[in-house]
Amino acid sequence: MHNSDNEYRLEMTGISKSFGVVSVLENVNLRVKPGEIHALLGENGAGKSTLVKILSGVHQKDSGKVILDGEEISPKNTHDGQVLGISVVYQELSLVNDLSVAENIYLHKLGASKFWMNWKQITKDAQELIDSLGFDIDASATVRNLSIVQKQVVEIAKALSEDTKVLVLDEPTTVFDPTDTKKLFDNLFKLRDKGISIIYISHHLDEIFKIADSVTVLRDGVDTGSMAVKDTNTDGVIRLMIGRELKDLYPTRDVKIGDVPVFEVKNLTAKDTLVHDVSFSVRPGEVLGIAGLGGSGRTETAKLIFGAHKKKSGTLILNGKEIKTNSPVCAVGHQIGFVSEDRKEDGVFLPLSIRRNISVTNFAGISGKLGFINVDDEYKNVLGLIEKLNIKTPSSEVDVKNLSGGNQQKVALAKWLSIDSKVIFIDEPTRGVDVGAKIEIYNLINEVAKKGVGVVVISSDMPEIMGIADRILVMHEGTFYGELTKEEFSEENILRYSIGEKLKQVV
Amino acid sequence: MALTIKQQLSSPGGILKFLVKHNTIFIFILLVVFSALISDVFFTSTNLSNLLKQVSGIGIISIGMLLVILTGGIDLSVGSMVALLAVTFAILVNIVVLPLAIVLTIVIGFALGSIAGYLVAFQKMAPFVATLALMTIARGLGFIYSKGSPITFKTPGGEFMSNFANNSTLGIPNIAIVFFLIVILAMVMLRYNVFGRLIIAIGSNEEASRLSGIKVNKYKFLVYAISGALAATAAVIVASRTNLGSPNMGMAWELDAIAAVVIGGASLNGGKGTAINTLMGVLILGLIGNILNLLNVPSYPQQVVKGAIIIFAVLLQRFDSK
Repeated sequence: MHNSDNEYRLEMTGISKSFGVVSVLENVNLRVKPGEIHALLGENGAGKSTLVKILSGVHQKDSGKVILDGEEISPKNTHDGQVLGISVVYQELSLVNDLSVAENIYLHKLGASKFWMNWKQITKDAQELIDSLGFDIDASATVRNLSIVQKQVVEIAKALSEDTKVLVLDEPTTVFDPTDTKKLFDNLFKLRDKGISIIYISHHLDEIFKIADSVTVLRDGVDTGSMAVKDTNTDGVIRLMIGRELKDLYPTRDVKIGDVPVFEVKNLTAKDTLVHDVSFSVRPGEVLGIAGLGGSGRTETAKLIFGAHKKKSGTLILNGKEIKTNSPVCAVGHQIGFVSEDRKEDGVFLPLSIRRNISVTNFAGISGKLGFINVDDEYKNVLGLIEKLNIKTPSSEVDVKNLSGGNQQKVALAKWLSIDSKVIFIDEPTRGVDVGAKIEIYNLINEVAKKGVGVVVISSDMPEIMGIADRILVMHEGTFYGELTKEEFSEENILRYSIGEKLKQVV
Repeated sequence: MALTIKQQLSSPGGILKFLVKHNTIFIFILLVVFSALISDVFFTSTNLSNLLKQVSGIGIISIGMLLVILTGGIDLSVGSMVALLAVTFAILVNIVVLPLAIVLTIVIGFALGSIAGYLVAFQKMAPFVATLALMTIARGLGFIYSKGSPITFKTPGGEFMSNFANNSTLGIPNIAIVFFLIVILAMVMLRYNVFGRLIIAIGSNEEASRLSGIKVNKYKFLVYAISGALAATAAVIVASRTNLGSPNMGMAWELDAIAAVVIGGASLNGGKGTAINTLMGVLILGLIGNILNLLNVPSYPQQVVKGAIIIFAVLLQRFDSK
């Protein structure tokens, strides 16, 4: 292996790339030292992913140089990139659902020299690798049966199964709760200390300041600055990212919260999940936060109320009347909305147009007898929502797959606004959404609440949930363990309840 | 629409893109021109009307197939259903009045399709397996009820149907008119009716549909039932054309129907496909058979050419999605 005196492990200089007439990267520089965690920041569409894909060989650069350990490289495909020691954990999970954890981790090696596979050895190696990361996953389990968090861990293990020199992580913690995130960070520190260069892409600025040594910021395909993390702060980085000052990430709420609950849940217990004895109420205009660790039953609670999971016992009361929601059809009939956490998997219809996505809940409102759609009504409703939610698109006929994460999320919300929902559950409202779109979504949530809707927000992002909720319920092992009023909001308090401890008594 | 046709054509590489995007119609026109050049007989009204009569039966079941495929399923039973229902219709037309015979046949088709729909939607059976089983059951029942031999129409009602099926109105064969009406109905339902919207939504993302409060099972059930009813309609037509119902009818028609839907650009994963393109797919398959017949090509090489056209059409669609 060639080692130069160069202080950088990886140097990408003057990188430009355009797709057709659209210039995505212009003269971008990224320099990463051995044994450092280098944060790559920028809003969605700033060019981070493209830059990483050029490094890993998915895309080829139009101009510029990529130098790894003093040698110029130009990987033609991802296999080239892997051979050179560049491993990427992408935001979109790229695991094969029907194979085992071990098979997935060593997938890229399965085609190599030997005819017979030593499954025992492979499973053992995979298990050791996962154990060394400190996560509890069975290497012989089928990936389909894993939680999204576990899948992400497998994805990371897969990247590390290579002789990795440069490890790229694209938004790895979006699905993680704080404990898992901490575990991941500890692992990253270990890898860094081994001399591996880590490029870390994230929208969570607080994470960057916790773990990164240096940072490069991209805006609209141009790098707006590189610096050591100790020489900057959140405001400085945000300025570079969005080119303006960012006063209020979380907009102030001046909503009048009603006295009588719009929606009440009493002693709800699930038939097939761990959710049990859940009781709460949400008032009109209120934003109720639900926090807790991954796997504590937050999503399951929402799905249970929404009728997507089976109930064993419990009562639901909407506007003072008891209702039954034995299926999502009933829930939607009672004007209860649910924005799911996995937007691409079950939140939106990616191959369908924005219009078709938004209309899907609202056919009763836009169709006459025999189900014929009144096209004028449909366009009026859809175009109104596109404008109101500021969905950035040239027309209502654009397929949702071509929108950014933030705009996709707005579409997912829009379909519930089009039926005037009385209560909306929003699971992870800003996962994989850039800062600009986040603010818009927060504003949107406020606006929805203002109209007297009860909004229930589930989020793993603690600053977020403290920023937007009026009250936070914390889940622990399938039930609400504690409630925090606005005065009690703190990351520590949420964490304490999350792990089943009492709050510290303060006088 | 985002772009007008004119804009699409004038953008760089626009003509090529336009052709790839509308490749089904393009292939269809190409085949018509080719056929007309290569054979004097092609553009005679006798030949064209024969062509339309030949494709109408498969065409009608292709529309049912399209609805099923849009939800992400498949219906292998339709060919055998045509046989069973043709036999059923022949028996009925000899014992009850004609309108009742037609209605009963379609109701029985709907009921048989409902069995597939029930198994797929409510018993969560894989569509391929459920309809494969029904395929052999329907074929077997057809042979049982006909005792293995064709049943001829013997009543004035049967005669009326036979006349209807073999005559034309304004130069268009009556059975082709039935087929076209079904295509138009499907177009309208898919574009302007909630039913069409929802089956496309279900095919493009079933879980998201469920979480949007769509009665996923109901619609999945319905598409198979409708496919059964359309198989019955096709059965009435093909039986009337030949004045009899035979358990050998509709042999491998399910494959032609799938081919037509796929040539029409529909995705077997569901969520993508239109009635007009399925019509084109049906006509393309019919044209290939027709022109090869006019050229006296035997039926085995015909099958090879058909297969090659399917591959070509699907490859062209890949260009479009890139």
